[in-house]
Amino acid sequence: MSRRLEFEIFRLNPEDPESEPHTDRFEVTETPYMTLYLALSQIREEQDPGLQFDFACRSAICGSCGMLVNGRPALACRTLTSQLPDSIRLYPLPVFRLVGDLSVDTGSWFRQMAERTEAWVHQKLPFDASAEESRMSDDDAQAIYDSDRCIECGCCVAACGVANIRSDFVAAAGLNRIARFMLDPRDRRDESEWFEVLSSDQGIFGCIGLMACEDVCPKQLPLLEVHAYLRRRLFASRLVGKQTDT
Amino acid sequence: MTTARAQLANELISGASGAVLAVFMWGHMLLVGSILLGRRGFDWMATQLETWFVAQPAVVGIFVLFLVHAVFASRKIPAQLHERQQLTQVSTDLQHSWTPHLDSKLWLWQVRTGMVILVLGSFHILLLAVDVLTPLYGQHAGIESTTTLGRVRAGLWLPYAVLLLCVEFHASVGLYRLAVKWGAGALLSRRTLKRIERALFWLILVFGALTLMVLAGLLDPPLEFLLPPATQ
Ligand code: FES
Repeated sequence: MSRRLEFEIFRLNPEDPESEPHTDRFEVTETPYMTLYLALSQIREEQDPGLQFDFACRSAICGSCGMLVNGRPALACRTLTSQLPDSIRLYPLPVFRLVGDLSVDTGSWFRQMAERTEAWVHQKLPFDASAEESRMSDDDAQAIYDSDRCIECGCCVAACGVANIRSDFVAAAGLNRIARFMLDPRDRRDESEWFEVLSSDQGIFGCIGLMACEDVCPKQLPLLEVHAYLRRRLFASRLVGKQTDT
Repeated sequence: MTTARAQLANELISGASGAVLAVFMWGHMLLVGSILLGRRGFDWMATQLETWFVAQPAVVGIFVLFLVHAVFASRKIPAQLHERQQLTQVSTDLQHSWTPHLDSKLWLWQVRTGMVILVLGSFHILLLAVDVLTPLYGQHAGIESTTTLGRVRAGLWLPYAVLLLCVEFHASVGLYRLAVKWGAGALLSRRTLKRIERALFWLILVFGALTLMVLAGLLDPPLEFLLPPATQ
Protein backbone atom coordinates (compact mmCIF):
# COMPACT_ATOMS: atom_id res chain seq x y z
CA MET A 1 0.00 0.00 0.00
CA SER A 2 1.57 3.25 -1.01
CA ARG A 3 0.87 6.27 1.13
CA ARG A 4 -1.11 9.33 0.12
CA LEU A 5 1.12 12.25 0.93
CA GLU A 6 -0.51 15.51 1.78
CA PHE A 7 1.51 18.59 0.94
CA GLU A 8 0.94 22.02 2.39
CA ILE A 9 2.94 24.44 0.32
CA PHE A 10 3.58 28.13 0.91
CA ARG A 11 2.53 30.38 -1.97
CA LEU A 12 3.38 33.99 -2.66
CA ASN A 13 4.44 35.84 -5.74
CA PRO A 14 6.17 39.04 -4.62
CA GLU A 15 6.06 40.37 -8.21
CA ASP A 16 2.29 40.37 -8.19
CA PRO A 17 0.73 43.06 -5.97
CA GLU A 18 -2.51 41.05 -5.81
CA SER A 19 -0.75 37.98 -4.41
CA GLU A 20 -1.32 37.27 -0.70
CA PRO A 21 0.78 34.80 1.31
CA HIS A 22 -1.17 31.58 1.82
CA THR A 23 -0.69 27.82 1.61
CA ASP A 24 -2.07 25.39 -0.97
CA ARG A 25 -2.77 21.70 -0.44
CA PHE A 26 -1.79 18.97 -2.86
CA GLU A 27 -2.04 15.18 -2.69
CA VAL A 28 0.53 12.86 -4.19
CA THR A 29 0.75 9.07 -4.15
CA GLU A 30 4.11 8.01 -2.78
CA THR A 31 6.34 5.91 -5.03
CA PRO A 32 9.42 3.96 -3.93
CA TYR A 33 12.50 6.14 -3.31
CA MET A 34 10.49 9.28 -3.97
CA THR A 35 12.35 12.47 -3.13
CA LEU A 36 10.70 15.81 -2.45
CA TYR A 37 12.10 16.89 -5.79
CA LEU A 38 10.14 14.14 -7.54
CA ALA A 39 6.98 14.92 -5.60
CA LEU A 40 7.22 18.63 -6.39
CA SER A 41 7.86 17.99 -10.08
CA GLN A 42 4.84 15.76 -10.17
CA ILE A 43 2.70 18.45 -8.55
CA ARG A 44 3.93 21.00 -11.04
CA GLU A 45 3.28 18.72 -14.01
CA GLU A 46 -0.07 17.37 -13.01
CA GLN A 47 -1.67 19.84 -10.63
CA ASP A 48 -0.25 23.35 -10.70
CA PRO A 49 2.12 24.48 -13.45
CA GLY A 50 2.62 27.82 -11.68
CA LEU A 51 4.37 26.36 -8.62
CA GLN A 52 7.83 27.89 -8.20
CA PHE A 53 10.79 25.98 -6.78
CA ASP A 54 14.46 25.64 -7.71
CA PHE A 55 16.42 22.63 -8.85
CA ALA A 56 19.44 22.05 -10.99
CA CYS A 57 21.61 19.08 -10.10
CA ARG A 58 19.14 16.85 -8.20
CA SER A 59 22.10 15.28 -6.41
CA ALA A 60 22.96 17.60 -3.50
CA ILE A 61 25.69 19.46 -5.33
CA CYS A 62 24.35 22.75 -6.64
CA GLY A 63 22.65 23.82 -3.41
CA SER A 64 19.63 25.40 -5.04
CA CYS A 65 16.82 23.28 -3.61
CA GLY A 66 17.00 24.18 0.10
CA MET A 67 13.61 24.67 1.74
CA LEU A 68 11.90 24.31 5.11
CA VAL A 69 10.56 20.77 5.31
CA ASN A 70 8.22 20.51 8.29
CA GLY A 71 10.12 23.38 9.85
CA ARG A 72 13.60 22.02 9.22
CA PRO A 73 15.89 23.31 6.47
CA ALA A 74 16.79 20.52 4.05
CA LEU A 75 17.67 19.86 0.43
CA ALA A 76 14.52 18.73 -1.36
CA CYS A 77 16.51 16.63 -3.84
CA ARG A 78 18.09 14.51 -1.14
CA THR A 79 15.15 14.23 1.27
CA LEU A 80 13.21 11.02 0.77
CA THR A 81 9.49 11.20 1.41
CA SER A 82 9.83 7.91 3.28
CA GLN A 83 11.70 9.83 6.01
CA LEU A 84 8.68 12.06 6.49
CA PRO A 85 5.21 11.73 7.97
CA ASP A 86 2.09 11.70 5.76
CA SER A 87 1.60 15.42 5.91
CA ILE A 88 4.47 17.53 4.66
CA ARG A 89 4.74 21.28 5.09
CA LEU A 90 7.01 23.09 2.65
CA TYR A 91 8.05 26.69 3.18
CA PRO A 92 10.79 28.73 1.55
CA LEU A 93 13.99 29.21 3.56
CA PRO A 94 13.78 32.27 5.82
CA VAL A 95 16.52 34.96 5.89
CA PHE A 96 16.89 34.99 2.07
CA ARG A 97 14.95 37.17 -0.39
CA LEU A 98 11.86 35.38 -1.65
CA VAL A 99 11.68 34.88 -5.39
CA GLY A 100 8.30 33.19 -5.26
CA ASP A 101 6.65 30.21 -3.50
CA LEU A 102 9.55 27.93 -2.48
CA SER A 103 12.22 29.68 -4.48
CA VAL A 104 14.64 32.02 -2.68
CA ASP A 105 17.64 34.04 -3.76
CA THR A 106 20.56 32.64 -1.78
CA GLY A 107 23.05 34.09 -4.28
CA SER A 108 22.78 37.72 -3.15
CA TRP A 109 23.16 36.77 0.49
CA PHE A 110 26.28 34.70 -0.19
CA ARG A 111 27.72 37.40 -2.39
CA GLN A 112 27.40 40.14 0.22
CA MET A 113 28.82 37.76 2.83
CA ALA A 114 31.81 36.96 0.62
CA GLU A 115 32.41 40.64 -0.10
CA ARG A 116 32.21 41.61 3.56
CA THR A 117 34.58 38.88 4.70
CA GLU A 118 36.77 39.39 1.61
CA ALA A 119 36.58 35.72 0.88
CA TRP A 120 39.45 35.43 -1.53
CA VAL A 121 43.17 34.77 -1.20
CA HIS A 122 45.00 37.95 -0.18
CA GLN A 123 48.44 37.20 -1.51
CA LYS A 124 49.69 40.74 -1.10
CA LEU A 125 52.36 40.13 -3.73
CA PRO A 126 52.70 41.73 -7.14
CA PHE A 127 51.37 39.32 -9.73
CA ASP A 128 54.12 37.47 -11.52
CA ALA A 129 52.87 35.29 -14.35
CA SER A 130 56.15 33.45 -14.78
CA ALA A 131 56.60 32.51 -11.10
CA GLU A 132 56.11 28.90 -10.15
CA GLU A 133 52.92 28.18 -8.18
CA SER A 134 53.56 27.93 -4.47
CA ARG A 135 53.39 24.46 -3.01
CA MET A 136 51.01 23.34 -0.32
CA SER A 137 51.21 20.40 2.07
CA ASP A 138 48.75 17.55 1.67
CA ASP A 139 47.29 18.24 5.09
CA ASP A 140 46.59 21.87 4.25
CA ALA A 141 45.07 20.93 0.95
CA GLN A 142 42.85 18.35 2.61
CA ALA A 143 41.69 20.77 5.31
CA ILE A 144 40.88 23.41 2.71
CA TYR A 145 39.11 20.88 0.56
CA ASP A 146 36.96 19.92 3.54
CA SER A 147 35.66 23.43 4.09
CA ASP A 148 35.28 23.94 0.35
CA ARG A 149 32.72 21.14 0.32
CA CYS A 150 30.12 23.74 1.31
CA ILE A 151 27.54 24.01 -1.50
CA GLU A 152 26.05 27.29 -0.22
CA CYS A 153 22.55 25.89 -0.02
CA GLY A 154 21.76 28.19 2.90
CA CYS A 155 20.32 25.49 5.19
CA CYS A 156 22.66 26.41 8.05
CA VAL A 157 21.80 30.08 7.64
CA ALA A 158 18.08 29.39 7.71
CA ALA A 159 18.41 27.17 10.80
CA CYS A 160 20.47 29.76 12.68
CA GLY A 161 18.48 31.66 15.27
CA VAL A 162 20.91 34.58 15.13
CA ALA A 163 20.93 34.83 11.32
CA ASN A 164 17.13 34.86 11.47
CA ILE A 165 17.09 37.98 13.62
CA ARG A 166 20.24 39.79 12.50
CA SER A 167 20.79 40.30 8.80
CA ASP A 168 24.45 41.30 9.25
CA PHE A 169 25.52 38.02 10.92
CA VAL A 170 27.76 35.98 8.60
CA ALA A 171 26.41 32.68 10.02
CA ALA A 172 27.95 29.22 9.78
CA ALA A 173 28.48 29.27 6.00
CA GLY A 174 30.29 32.60 6.29
CA LEU A 175 32.42 31.49 9.22
CA ASN A 176 33.30 28.32 7.37
CA ARG A 177 34.32 30.45 4.40
CA ILE A 178 36.56 32.61 6.58
CA ALA A 179 38.16 29.53 8.11
CA ARG A 180 38.89 28.23 4.63
CA PHE A 181 41.06 31.27 3.89
CA MET A 182 42.63 31.25 7.32
CA LEU A 183 43.79 27.70 6.65
CA ASP A 184 45.19 28.67 3.28
CA PRO A 185 48.95 29.33 3.56
CA ARG A 186 48.80 31.57 0.49
CA ASP A 187 46.52 34.02 2.27
CA ARG A 188 48.82 36.56 3.89
CA ARG A 189 46.34 38.38 6.08
CA ASP A 190 47.87 38.70 9.54
CA GLU A 191 46.26 37.89 12.85
CA SER A 192 45.10 41.43 13.55
CA GLU A 193 43.32 41.60 10.20
CA TRP A 194 41.60 38.30 10.87
CA PHE A 195 40.73 39.54 14.30
CA GLU A 196 38.82 42.43 12.83
CA VAL A 197 37.07 40.36 10.16
CA LEU A 198 35.96 37.76 12.62
CA SER A 199 35.36 38.94 16.05
CA SER A 200 32.83 41.69 15.76
CA ASP A 201 29.42 40.38 16.65
CA GLN A 202 28.78 39.91 12.95
CA GLY A 203 31.47 37.24 13.15
CA ILE A 204 32.21 34.38 15.47
CA PHE A 205 31.21 36.13 18.69
CA GLY A 206 27.75 36.84 17.36
CA CYS A 207 27.27 33.07 17.52
CA ILE A 208 25.40 32.05 20.66
CA GLY A 209 25.99 28.33 20.20
CA LEU A 210 22.59 27.02 19.17
CA MET A 211 24.31 24.28 17.12
CA ALA A 212 21.50 23.86 14.60
CA CYS A 213 23.84 24.71 11.69
CA GLU A 214 25.81 21.50 12.01
CA ASP A 215 22.73 19.38 12.60
CA VAL A 216 20.99 20.51 9.42
CA CYS A 217 24.03 20.69 7.12
CA PRO A 218 23.24 18.37 4.17
CA LYS A 219 26.96 17.92 3.50
CA GLN A 220 27.71 17.08 7.15
CA LEU A 221 30.40 19.71 7.41
CA PRO A 222 31.98 19.84 10.89
CA LEU A 223 30.74 23.40 11.36
CA LEU A 224 30.97 23.46 15.15
CA GLU A 225 34.55 22.29 14.95
CA VAL A 226 35.23 25.10 12.48
CA HIS A 227 33.69 27.62 14.90
CA ALA A 228 35.76 26.27 17.78
CA TYR A 229 38.90 26.58 15.65
CA LEU A 230 38.06 30.22 14.93
CA ARG A 231 37.44 30.97 18.60
CA ARG A 232 40.67 29.35 19.69
CA ARG A 233 42.66 31.04 16.97
CA LEU A 234 41.32 34.49 17.87
CA PHE A 235 41.93 33.88 21.53
CA ALA A 236 45.49 32.81 20.79
CA SER A 237 46.07 35.80 18.52
CA ARG A 238 44.98 38.13 21.32
CA LEU A 239 47.37 36.49 23.74
CA VAL A 240 50.21 36.90 21.30
CA GLY A 241 49.01 40.37 20.33
CA LYS A 242 49.11 41.50 23.97
CA GLN A 243 52.73 40.53 24.29
CA THR A 244 53.80 42.40 21.20
CA ASP A 245 51.78 45.49 22.22
CA THR A 246 53.79 46.00 25.37
CA MET B 1 39.37 47.50 17.27
CA THR B 2 37.66 48.13 20.55
CA THR B 3 34.45 46.32 19.60
CA ALA B 4 36.37 43.26 18.47
CA ARG B 5 38.34 43.15 21.71
CA ALA B 6 35.25 43.76 23.78
CA GLN B 7 33.47 40.89 22.04
CA LEU B 8 36.30 38.51 22.81
CA ALA B 9 36.46 39.70 26.41
CA ASN B 10 32.73 39.28 26.77
CA GLU B 11 32.87 35.74 25.42
CA LEU B 12 35.75 34.80 27.71
CA ILE B 13 34.32 36.38 30.85
CA SER B 14 30.84 34.94 30.46
CA GLY B 15 32.22 31.49 29.62
CA ALA B 16 34.86 31.36 32.33
CA SER B 17 32.60 32.75 35.06
CA GLY B 18 29.93 30.23 34.07
CA ALA B 19 32.38 27.34 34.22
CA VAL B 20 33.70 28.39 37.63
CA LEU B 21 30.18 28.81 38.99
CA ALA B 22 29.13 25.39 37.69
CA VAL B 23 32.11 23.68 39.27
CA PHE B 24 31.65 25.61 42.50
CA MET B 25 28.01 24.56 42.53
CA TRP B 26 28.87 20.87 42.39
CA GLY B 27 31.34 21.29 45.22
CA HIS B 28 28.76 23.25 47.16
CA MET B 29 26.18 20.46 46.69
CA LEU B 30 28.66 17.97 48.10
CA LEU B 31 29.33 20.19 51.12
CA VAL B 32 25.64 20.76 51.82
CA GLY B 33 25.25 17.03 51.31
CA SER B 34 27.06 16.62 54.64
CA ILE B 35 23.54 16.80 56.07
CA LEU B 36 23.13 13.24 54.80
CA LEU B 37 25.49 12.35 57.67
CA GLY B 38 23.12 14.03 60.08
CA ARG B 39 23.23 17.36 61.86
CA ARG B 40 26.58 16.69 63.47
CA GLY B 41 28.12 16.09 60.09
CA PHE B 42 26.61 19.29 58.76
CA ASP B 43 27.68 21.44 61.69
CA TRP B 44 31.16 19.96 61.68
CA MET B 45 31.53 20.79 57.98
CA ALA B 46 30.21 24.34 58.50
CA THR B 47 32.59 24.96 61.39
CA GLN B 48 35.56 23.64 59.41
CA LEU B 49 34.79 25.94 56.49
CA GLU B 50 34.37 28.92 58.79
CA THR B 51 37.37 28.42 61.08
CA TRP B 52 39.64 28.00 58.08
CA PHE B 53 38.10 31.07 56.43
CA VAL B 54 36.86 29.29 53.35
CA ALA B 55 33.20 30.19 53.69
CA GLN B 56 33.55 33.93 54.28
CA PRO B 57 35.53 34.88 51.17
CA ALA B 58 33.63 32.27 49.14
CA VAL B 59 30.23 33.77 49.83
CA VAL B 60 31.42 37.23 48.80
CA GLY B 61 33.44 36.02 45.82
CA ILE B 62 30.68 33.81 44.49
CA PHE B 63 28.15 36.61 44.73
CA VAL B 64 30.41 38.90 42.71
CA LEU B 65 31.06 36.17 40.14
CA PHE B 66 27.34 35.43 40.01
CA LEU B 67 26.57 39.05 39.14
CA VAL B 68 29.41 39.25 36.63
CA HIS B 69 28.13 36.13 34.92
CA ALA B 70 24.58 37.50 34.83
CA VAL B 71 25.70 40.79 33.28
CA PHE B 72 28.03 39.32 30.66
CA ALA B 73 26.02 36.26 29.69
CA SER B 74 22.76 38.19 29.33
CA ARG B 75 24.31 40.38 26.64
CA LYS B 76 23.60 37.61 24.19
CA ILE B 77 19.86 37.72 24.81
CA PRO B 78 18.10 39.49 21.95
CA ALA B 79 16.63 42.76 23.12
CA GLN B 80 13.54 43.09 20.96
CA LEU B 81 10.37 41.14 21.55
CA HIS B 82 9.97 40.25 17.87
CA GLU B 83 13.54 38.93 17.81
CA ARG B 84 12.83 36.69 20.78
CA GLN B 85 9.64 35.47 19.17
CA GLN B 86 11.52 34.67 15.99
CA LEU B 87 14.18 32.78 17.93
CA THR B 88 11.52 30.80 19.77
CA GLN B 89 9.81 30.02 16.48
CA VAL B 90 12.97 28.71 14.84
CA SER B 91 13.91 26.56 17.83
CA THR B 92 10.41 25.17 18.25
CA ASP B 93 10.25 24.22 14.55
CA LEU B 94 13.62 22.47 14.80
CA GLN B 95 12.59 20.70 17.97
CA HIS B 96 9.48 19.24 16.36
CA SER B 97 10.93 18.42 12.96
CA TRP B 98 11.27 14.87 11.70
CA THR B 99 14.80 14.61 13.05
CA PRO B 100 14.54 16.72 16.17
CA HIS B 101 17.22 19.23 17.02
CA LEU B 102 17.05 20.20 20.68
CA ASP B 103 20.06 22.39 21.36
CA SER B 104 18.43 25.60 20.14
CA LYS B 105 15.50 25.06 22.48
CA LEU B 106 17.85 24.25 25.34
CA TRP B 107 19.46 27.66 24.86
CA LEU B 108 16.10 29.33 25.40
CA TRP B 109 15.60 27.30 28.54
CA GLN B 110 19.01 28.39 29.70
CA VAL B 111 17.86 31.99 29.42
CA ARG B 112 14.65 31.23 31.29
CA THR B 113 16.32 29.28 34.07
CA GLY B 114 18.98 32.00 34.22
CA MET B 115 16.29 34.56 35.04
CA VAL B 116 14.91 32.36 37.82
CA ILE B 117 18.39 31.76 39.19
CA LEU B 118 19.13 35.48 39.18
CA VAL B 119 16.20 36.09 41.51
CA LEU B 120 16.24 33.00 43.73
CA GLY B 121 20.01 32.63 43.66
CA SER B 122 20.58 36.24 44.77
CA PHE B 123 18.19 35.69 47.63
CA HIS B 124 19.88 32.45 48.63
CA ILE B 125 23.40 33.85 48.50
CA LEU B 126 22.48 37.00 50.42
CA LEU B 127 20.73 34.97 53.07
CA LEU B 128 23.80 32.79 53.43
CA ALA B 129 26.02 35.85 53.55
CA VAL B 130 24.02 37.07 56.54
CA ASP B 131 24.41 33.63 58.14
CA VAL B 132 28.12 33.35 57.54
CA LEU B 133 29.16 36.92 58.27
CA THR B 134 26.78 38.05 61.02
CA PRO B 135 25.32 36.53 64.20
CA LEU B 136 21.84 37.79 63.19
CA TYR B 137 20.34 34.30 62.89
CA GLY B 138 21.21 31.55 65.37
CA GLN B 139 23.74 31.51 68.21
CA HIS B 140 26.82 32.89 66.47
CA ALA B 141 28.11 34.04 63.10
CA GLY B 142 28.16 30.97 60.87
CA ILE B 143 25.93 28.32 59.34
CA GLU B 144 24.06 26.32 61.94
CA SER B 145 21.96 23.27 61.30
CA THR B 146 19.21 24.41 63.68
CA THR B 147 18.64 27.65 61.78
CA THR B 148 18.97 26.03 58.35
CA LEU B 149 16.67 23.10 59.05
CA GLY B 150 14.08 25.30 60.69
CA ARG B 151 14.06 27.63 57.72
CA VAL B 152 13.83 24.96 55.07
CA ARG B 153 11.07 23.21 56.97
CA ALA B 154 9.15 26.44 57.39
CA GLY B 155 8.69 26.68 53.62
CA LEU B 156 11.98 27.59 52.07
CA TRP B 157 12.09 24.09 50.56
CA LEU B 158 9.82 25.23 47.76
CA PRO B 159 11.99 28.01 46.30
CA TYR B 160 15.04 25.84 46.99
CA ALA B 161 13.56 22.98 44.99
CA VAL B 162 12.92 25.32 42.06
CA LEU B 163 16.41 26.77 42.41
CA LEU B 164 17.98 23.31 42.49
CA LEU B 165 16.24 22.23 39.31
CA CYS B 166 17.08 25.44 37.47
CA VAL B 167 20.70 25.49 38.57
CA GLU B 168 21.32 21.86 37.64
CA PHE B 169 19.81 22.38 34.23
CA HIS B 170 21.54 25.68 33.60
CA ALA B 171 24.94 24.41 34.70
CA SER B 172 24.98 21.10 32.84
CA VAL B 173 23.61 22.53 29.58
CA GLY B 174 25.90 25.53 29.92
CA LEU B 175 29.02 23.42 30.36
CA TYR B 176 28.05 21.24 27.42
CA ARG B 177 27.60 24.31 25.23
CA LEU B 178 30.85 25.82 26.43
CA ALA B 179 32.70 22.59 25.70
CA VAL B 180 31.31 22.42 22.17
CA LYS B 181 32.01 26.10 21.56
CA TRP B 182 35.71 25.72 22.31
CA GLY B 183 36.17 22.46 20.52
CA ALA B 184 35.74 19.57 22.93
CA GLY B 185 33.52 18.07 20.24
CA ALA B 186 36.64 17.07 18.36
CA LEU B 187 37.99 15.02 21.26
CA LEU B 188 34.75 13.44 22.37
CA SER B 189 31.82 13.41 20.01
CA ARG B 190 28.93 15.73 20.67
CA ARG B 191 26.83 12.71 21.45
CA THR B 192 29.25 11.64 24.17
CA LEU B 193 29.39 15.16 25.58
CA LYS B 194 25.62 15.16 25.65
CA ARG B 195 25.57 11.86 27.53
CA ILE B 196 27.98 13.29 30.09
CA GLU B 197 25.78 16.36 30.39
CA ARG B 198 22.67 14.23 31.03
CA ALA B 199 24.45 11.99 33.51
CA LEU B 200 25.80 14.95 35.50
CA PHE B 201 22.38 16.58 35.47
CA TRP B 202 20.61 13.55 36.93
CA LEU B 203 23.38 12.63 39.32
CA ILE B 204 23.56 16.03 40.99
CA LEU B 205 19.82 16.53 40.80
CA VAL B 206 19.12 13.31 42.68
CA PHE B 207 21.85 14.06 45.20
CA GLY B 208 20.51 17.60 45.64
CA ALA B 209 16.95 16.37 46.00
CA LEU B 210 17.97 13.90 48.71
CA THR B 211 19.84 16.66 50.53
CA LEU B 212 16.86 18.96 50.31
CA MET B 213 14.51 16.26 51.58
CA VAL B 214 16.69 15.70 54.63
CA LEU B 215 16.87 19.45 55.23
CA ALA B 216 13.10 19.66 54.95
CA GLY B 217 12.67 16.83 57.44
CA LEU B 218 11.01 14.50 54.93
CA LEU B 219 13.79 11.97 55.21
CA ASP B 220 16.05 10.87 58.05
CA PRO B 221 19.76 11.40 57.31
CA PRO B 222 20.51 8.12 55.48
CA LEU B 223 24.25 8.07 56.24
CA GLU B 224 24.15 8.99 59.92
CA PHE B 225 25.36 5.53 60.92
CA LEU B 226 28.72 6.33 59.35
CA LEU B 227 29.59 8.79 62.12
CA PRO B 228 30.84 7.45 65.45
CA PRO B 229 28.16 7.71 68.13
CA ALA B 230 28.00 11.08 69.87
CA THR B 231 30.01 11.38 73.04
CA GLN B 232 28.28 13.63 75.49
S1 FES C 1 19.04 20.28 -6.82
FE1 FES C 1 21.12 20.68 -6.57
S2 FES C 1 21.31 20.47 -4.42
FE2 FES C 1 19.26 19.87 -4.75
